Amino acid sequence: MYMSESKGLRIPVEYFDGGWKKGEAVISKTAITFAGMVVPFKEIQDLEKLSYEGKEAIRIKKDRNYYLNFGNMQDQIFRYLAFNLKSDRFAVYFLSPATRGGVVVSDSRWDKGYLSITDEALWFLSATRQIRISIENLGSVEKDIRTVGKKQRVVLVITYVENGEVISSFVLCPETTMDMLEEYIRNIINRNKPNEALSEIEEQILTMVYTGVDSVSVESILKITTDELNELYDRLVNLGLARVVKIRKEIELTPKGVALVNEIMKRSAR
Amino acid sequence: MPKVLIVDDTAFMRKLLRNILFSGGFDIAGEAENGKQAVEMYKQLKPDIVTMDIVMPEMNGIEALKAIKKIDPNARVVMCTAVGQEQMVKAAIKLGAKGYIVKPFQASKVIEELKKVAGMS
Repeated sequence: MYMSESKGLRIPVEYFDGGWKKGEAVISKTAITFAGMVVPFKEIQDLEKLSYEGKEAIRIKKDRNYYLNFGNMQDQIFRYLAFNLKSDRFAVYFLSPATRGGVVVSDSRWDKGYLSITDEALWFLSATRQIRISIENLGSVEKDIRTVGKKQRVVLVITYVENGEVISSFVLCPETTMDMLEEYIRNIINRNKPNEALSEIEEQILTMVYTGVDSVSVESILKITTDELNELYDRLVNLGLARVVKIRKEIELTPKGVALVNEIMKRSAR
Repeated sequence: MPKVLIVDDTAFMRKLLRNILFSGGFDIAGEAENGKQAVEMYKQLKPDIVTMDIVMPEMNGIEALKAIKKIDPNARVVMCTAVGQEQMVKAAIKLGAKGYIVKPFQASKVIEELKKVAGMS
């Protein structure tokens, strides 16, 4: 993307301000301006591509979130912003995703680019791909030996969750960089872990909920009551490990209901 | 319905798998808590499918797979592995495992994989 040093690139944009509004954005080498707002790149805290209010949008987080749509320039602008984010950046080769749900992604290819770390996300950046991994979705980081170009090489394996699936990506870089990256990412992961250790039963509930086991089965497997399970659920919610999606109702029949059941039984006996 | 032998050294994982498989319409042939027990139970119960954990005491899942394949070359064994054990999975597939599921697993994926292995999909 070319732009002059002084004027920047002027392009049409739609920005969300209570509704989608048309306007013009100016992108210079140091900032993006739209709707009278100047957002210096080094003040962007987070960046993400997503669907927002019926449109494909770029979310730019500064002091608050801004949603922009650049039409057919969307990918180019996103790439430019991603490369200009204030971040710690390391030149690496990356394979992302390498596995999805434990299955090797056969059409994934090694890319030359950067591993970029901002306050809220970890990015794999190359000329063709900009992959954002939210820090709260990071699962683990460790070195492992993998076959790269028919050679056994030490790679950094980073796992994270995307759409409920565990994904792993591989990073190849000089050993000293890898040691530093491993420690850096591990610190980030540890910072995001709950401060309190989970009990065995809490870990089991977490696993079962991930697996898709319903609450009645959780109670039956663990031999606990609904009240006990609710208490344990509350703790997982309070620790930020789960959220409430449905509140189950328990009912008992009124005399009118009991009478109707009697009638149903009589009817079926006829 | 296909009968499944569940092999895992943790009682919780066995219970969890039993719950998933039962809801998915599979019958549970039995449960073993290590590879050695699995081989014995395979001889007695002749299950249609075995879900085999890899890391276990006494005899691990890979050794148990080898032993079961010796007894019955057509045995349908699905390996249960954790993220990061891809090398073990490759070894198991070479030894004749019919599929694998990755922990932590989702019920739908387990059912899908086992139905595939059982020739039900």
